[in-house]
Amino acid sequence: MKNISLFTDNGTCLTKVHPFTKIAHIAAAVSIPLIVGRLWLFGCFIGVSLCLLAWGKVLKRTFPLIAFSFTILITIFLIHGLFNQNNANVLFRLGPLKFYREGLLYALRIGLNILNMLLSFAVLVLTTRPSELVDELEKRGFSPRFGYIISSVFQIIPQMMGTMNTIMDAQRSRGLETEGSLRTRAKAFLPLISPVVMSSLINTRERAIALEVRGFGAGIKKTWLKDRPRHKGDREATILCLLLILAAVVWRVGTWL
Amino acid sequence: MSAADSGSGGLEGRHMAVITVENLRYRYPHTEKLALDGLTFSVEKGEFIGIIGANGAGKSTLSQALVGLVPQFYKGAYGGRVTAGGFNAETVPVSQMCRTVGLVFQNPFNQLSGARDNVYEEVAFGMQNLGVEREEMKRRIQWALELLDIWQYRDRNPFDLSGGQMQRVAIASILVMRPEVIVLDEPTSQLDPAGSEEVFRAVEKLAKSGITILMIEQKMEKIASYCDRILLLHEGKQIAFDTPQKVFSLDDLEEYGIQPPAFTRICRAAGLSFKDGTYPVTAESAAEFFHGKDFEKSRIGETDVSISEPFFSIQNLDFHYSPEAPVLQNLNLELDGRPTAIIGQNGAGKTTLVKLLKGLLKPVSGNIYFKGRNIGEQTVAMLAGQIGYVFQNPDDQIFKYNVLDEVMFGPLNIGMSREEAEEKALEALALTGLTGKEKENPYDLELYERKMAAIASVLAMDTDVLILDEPTIAQDYRGRQIIGNVIRELSGKGKLVLAVLHDMDFVAEFFERVIVMAHGQILADGNGREVFSRTDLLKEACLSQPYVTQLCRKLGFEGIYLTVEEFLGKK
Repeated sequence: MKNISLFTDNGTCLTKVHPFTKIAHIAAAVSIPLIVGRLWLFGCFIGVSLCLLAWGKVLKRTFPLIAFSFTILITIFLIHGLFNQNNANVLFRLGPLKFYREGLLYALRIGLNILNMLLSFAVLVLTTRPSELVDELEKRGFSPRFGYIISSVFQIIPQMMGTMNTIMDAQRSRGLETEGSLRTRAKAFLPLISPVVMSSLINTRERAIALEVRGFGAGIKKTWLKDRPRHKGDREATILCLLLILAAVVWRVGTWL
Repeated sequence: MSAADSGSGGLEGRHMAVITVENLRYRYPHTEKLALDGLTFSVEKGEFIGIIGANGAGKSTLSQALVGLVPQFYKGAYGGRVTAGGFNAETVPVSQMCRTVGLVFQNPFNQLSGARDNVYEEVAFGMQNLGVEREEMKRRIQWALELLDIWQYRDRNPFDLSGGQMQRVAIASILVMRPEVIVLDEPTSQLDPAGSEEVFRAVEKLAKSGITILMIEQKMEKIASYCDRILLLHEGKQIAFDTPQKVFSLDDLEEYGIQPPAFTRICRAAGLSFKDGTYPVTAESAAEFFHGKDFEKSRIGETDVSISEPFFSIQNLDFHYSPEAPVLQNLNLELDGRPTAIIGQNGAGKTTLVKLLKGLLKPVSGNIYFKGRNIGEQTVAMLAGQIGYVFQNPDDQIFKYNVLDEVMFGPLNIGMSREEAEEKALEALALTGLTGKEKENPYDLELYERKMAAIASVLAMDTDVLILDEPTIAQDYRGRQIIGNVIRELSGKGKLVLAVLHDMDFVAEFFERVIVMAHGQILADGNGREVFSRTDLLKEACLSQPYVTQLCRKLGFEGIYLTVEEFLGKK
């Protein structure tokens, strides 16, 4: 079966680190540079995330993510470098185009912010089994219904994609042209999409029954097959992240006073 | 159990009734007809009850009433009383009822929670919800997986399993919740014979373990051999609740859309009855009757085969989805006008082959010629007017708001005029027994009717070839007869009907040519008699013989009879 989760179990230490530690890392990496407001801090946290990704041997798998975000970043640089309303000092010229210092700085801040978030989330997403994350959240009182929605998405979307191919074959068999001009393809939209929607509605109803007869929503305190032991250093890393956030807040408040 | 509830169990007297149903009446919301009308019966602990009836008789509705889904989930008008293990199914929440009554239904796929990525955790899901203690969970999972012979798949993703394996996971998931009663709603209707056998074997083991079982099933031979008592429903009413022998010996069974087991039909026609006027229902008891009686033990004369011009000619066909796993290898085959069935286990390459014929897949190497023209040079849409293909799941194609429009969609696509399309559509609807449903919304039809609508929507395109993928799934006796007629009618018009299916008795009755596939190759090719007499080969392809053929073997006949009519005709 196709897997849409980005996680692959490569057995490195990072996969064994508790998901909450990684969430603490995200919280620290995203909030501290914003609270403190210094550009070099973005750099630090991007560096930390890259090191973590390298340690978890998933650095290579982040390249497509980074490459994708670059298309957006370049647009931001162009627009702000050329047209930001605060633009005053020309930094350099490229033919007839004038790039301004203020706009580029602003764009740099946004760009680093995006990259920083992306990489810190990548540490979590690439090295954590989705069901494990959901289980841990549920153990801490997260609603089982929401938990179910999240984990089922990873199983059911690939199934829906499979159905889509069958539907395409079924309608082509009835003489529906699915390729060609925009008009042909627009005409093919309804015959292709309605069966997907309707059959997933039917399936959803059956699945709702299936969950019901398996005691889902019984309102009894759930039990678990496994405990998730904390990895060595989990506690320390989490405390460190929280302390750093606290320190950033204190510093910020201190500079205001 | 409250004092009031235990009272109703006590009324039954001698034995302990685990389920009591008293004058159960139920109507779905926004409908006028009663889906269940005055059912009254009780089931004792450890009994195996079969529930039979035509499509629309109320079997599934009853199964859902036993768990409380009717009326709690479906709402609607409800009367009478259902108790299971002393709990009133009308008021006790389903999430509690499920500890007493477990429900397994047809589609194995939709029963998986979809939130667990291996079988072991999937089976644990229900127990987790009920707060079962960890060590106890582990014990029960191992017990259930071993009992159903799926322990070896515990680390696999449940969605990657075959239908038979998936259905056993579904049964295990219910079993571990330790219900007193298990209700199985046609658990094998969507599985191939090997998968069905796996599930039936599992059901037998369950029965021996002493758990009370209620099973809805269309395969009467199976019901006959397993059940202590049978509940026969018709249009929501209870027709009979008695032993298999008595129920299957009723004179007016066909009126209720039930065809008794092949063995019973043979004995009835031969006038071989027990002293009380009932007939044998299993191969064993029927064989006892026939033993000692003199039968002509000769091979039936071969029927003349009229071979027409080939429709398809397949030469050196190779196909794979990925080079490491070839699906079809060097396949050579000619298909003429005889109705042809392709049989074989799941994964044998049957569906791949018919998709290649339809042009939905392109050969990796080799050629397929349709009436002398290479299919590779034509698009699917070009072939649409000549080769019709009915997919297994009707919900993959339905999108119009009324049946007539749905059926006219194909004909209009291939360039028929509106009048012609409508005429063909009405003809097709008549042939599939859907006359009168033209204006209904296809989604309001039952699954078996939607399947007919899907068949009609391809029939209306009036193609030279009709390919059917598992047409008999979800059909009762009447539905199977209708599909059988469609096959005969088209064949009579000189068209090729090609079907992939798992229903051996249906194959034996309606197809002149049978092709057995296994591992991407053709193991056997010939008429039903030749193919079904080769037991070694059937075993290799994981197939079973038609029931009448099984009886012949028990009687030690040398010749092979495929259908009841043949058996009697030669008697």
